[in-house]
Amino acid sequence: MKNLFYLLLSIVLFSCNSKEKKDLTQKIDNTQPEEIHTDLYGSWVGDFIVLERDTTRPESEMYSNKINIVIKKITASEVLGQSVVAGNSRPLKGKVTTEGNTVHFVLNEPGDDKYDGVFDFEIKNDTLLVGTWTANNTKKEVRKRKFELYKKAFKYDPKVMLPEEGMYIDYQNPKEEQVTESESDNPEDAKEEETYMTTVYREASESIFKINSSTKKLKESDVKNLKKLDLEILRNTIFARHGLTFKTKTVRQFFDDVEWYIPVSDNVNNELTEVEKENVVLLKRFEKYAEDNYDSFGR
Amino acid sequence: MIKITWQYIPFHKDIAFLQIKQSEVEKIPFYIPFFYTHVYSAIFVLLAGFFQLNATFLKRFPAVHRNIGKFYVFVVLFLSAPSGLFIGFFANGGLYSQISFVSLSILWFYFTLKGFTAIKNKNISQHKAFMLRSFALTFSAVTLRFWKVILVYLFHPAPMDVYQIIAWLGWIPNLLIIEYYLYNQLKK
Repeated sequence: MKNLFYLLLSIVLFSCNSKEKKDLTQKIDNTQPEEIHTDLYGSWVGDFIVLERDTTRPESEMYSNKINIVIKKITASEVLGQSVVAGNSRPLKGKVTTEGNTVHFVLNEPGDDKYDGVFDFEIKNDTLLVGTWTANNTKKEVRKRKFELYKKAFKYDPKVMLPEEGMYIDYQNPKEEQVTESESDNPEDAKEEETYMTTVYREASESIFKINSSTKKLKESDVKNLKKLDLEILRNTIFARHGLTFKTKTVRQFFDDVEWYIPVSDNVNNELTEVEKENVVLLKRFEKYAEDNYDSFGR
Repeated sequence: MIKITWQYIPFHKDIAFLQIKQSEVEKIPFYIPFFYTHVYSAIFVLLAGFFQLNATFLKRFPAVHRNIGKFYVFVVLFLSAPSGLFIGFFANGGLYSQISFVSLSILWFYFTLKGFTAIKNKNISQHKAFMLRSFALTFSAVTLRFWKVILVYLFHPAPMDVYQIIAWLGWIPNLLIIEYYLYNQLKK
């Protein structure tokens, strides 16, 4: 009799339990609408190219910047994401509509930043993301940009290096320099000497391919003979490996074309390893010294 | 030069030039005291030297010439040259510039000492010759920095390559000019 009682009790308890579980899952379904197109979640990376520019004023915005549009969540009623480009990381919010194999998004940046705007794009066959961005501010120099993005996963790899076939010339900071050239080899014709101004660009040395600033703890002797541009590139390669989106054009020109570089955040300081942190401090110190002393009277 | 010295006041372990010498600052005992002895003393040597070269000054104030002279000799022999020798061993640019700076400091000491003993023996022409040599080396502090500006402007070399060149270019031509001058004086 006693045994039968226990059996009944356990059956009753068990059934109660399962009922409760069902209630819970139903509750979750009510507050959390079903997520769709989860296969589209992730980073979509590519070039963010000028479509409409106000040509009446001097060009200051880059023709192309590397952009990463992150899709974080898609439901029938709402899409959440992030746009990371040119030193800005902005949350995105908007809507999605589906038509056959094409998924169409309209996503807004919050609107409280002067560079905010609206992204309008489609993803075709789950592989290619194509669209345009329109600035909220109609008086902005570049009002419209276009992009074709591919899905790419970001992963920190301390071993990646800048590709050696790249050209590392600082086109963003030209320097005018006076050059005197003699037109004739005959020294008696010295009067024919011609003086003209020419534009000089800083060029990085090969050290930027040889020194890995993320894996090697740098010593003063490693960086002493480097010019300021080399030091800057070595330091920013650390940040590029962690996916920092760069605010300055000077830095972007070197990293935007690099295949492995994906901008994911506007602050990666907490991601740096100990070696990287120490190297950043050392490189910064040498950059400052190079800036203050390289071409001036003094040490 | 006063401005360059000024950036080392107040005393810091990591200012200006020392920004790229932190491994020496940390590893070499007494690097900082020797460095600062050199920086703070040499500026006075340079300033004092300018007064001594002036012939009318010497004629009008011979006693002041003697006093500044003693100061110059004392500071070079006991402060600037020994500290220069010490930091010369750890000079930027490797062996070539180290040899240059070490020999520079030894010659500086030697010329200054010879100039001093010469005047003690009342040998004025020898005193003048050695003191001119001494000041030619003192003045290398200025010339090597001028050469640096010129080289960087013309060729944009890497920083330590510049250093190796100016380590020699700073004082050898100075000394040659003085020797040439003394040689001409001798002929007269």
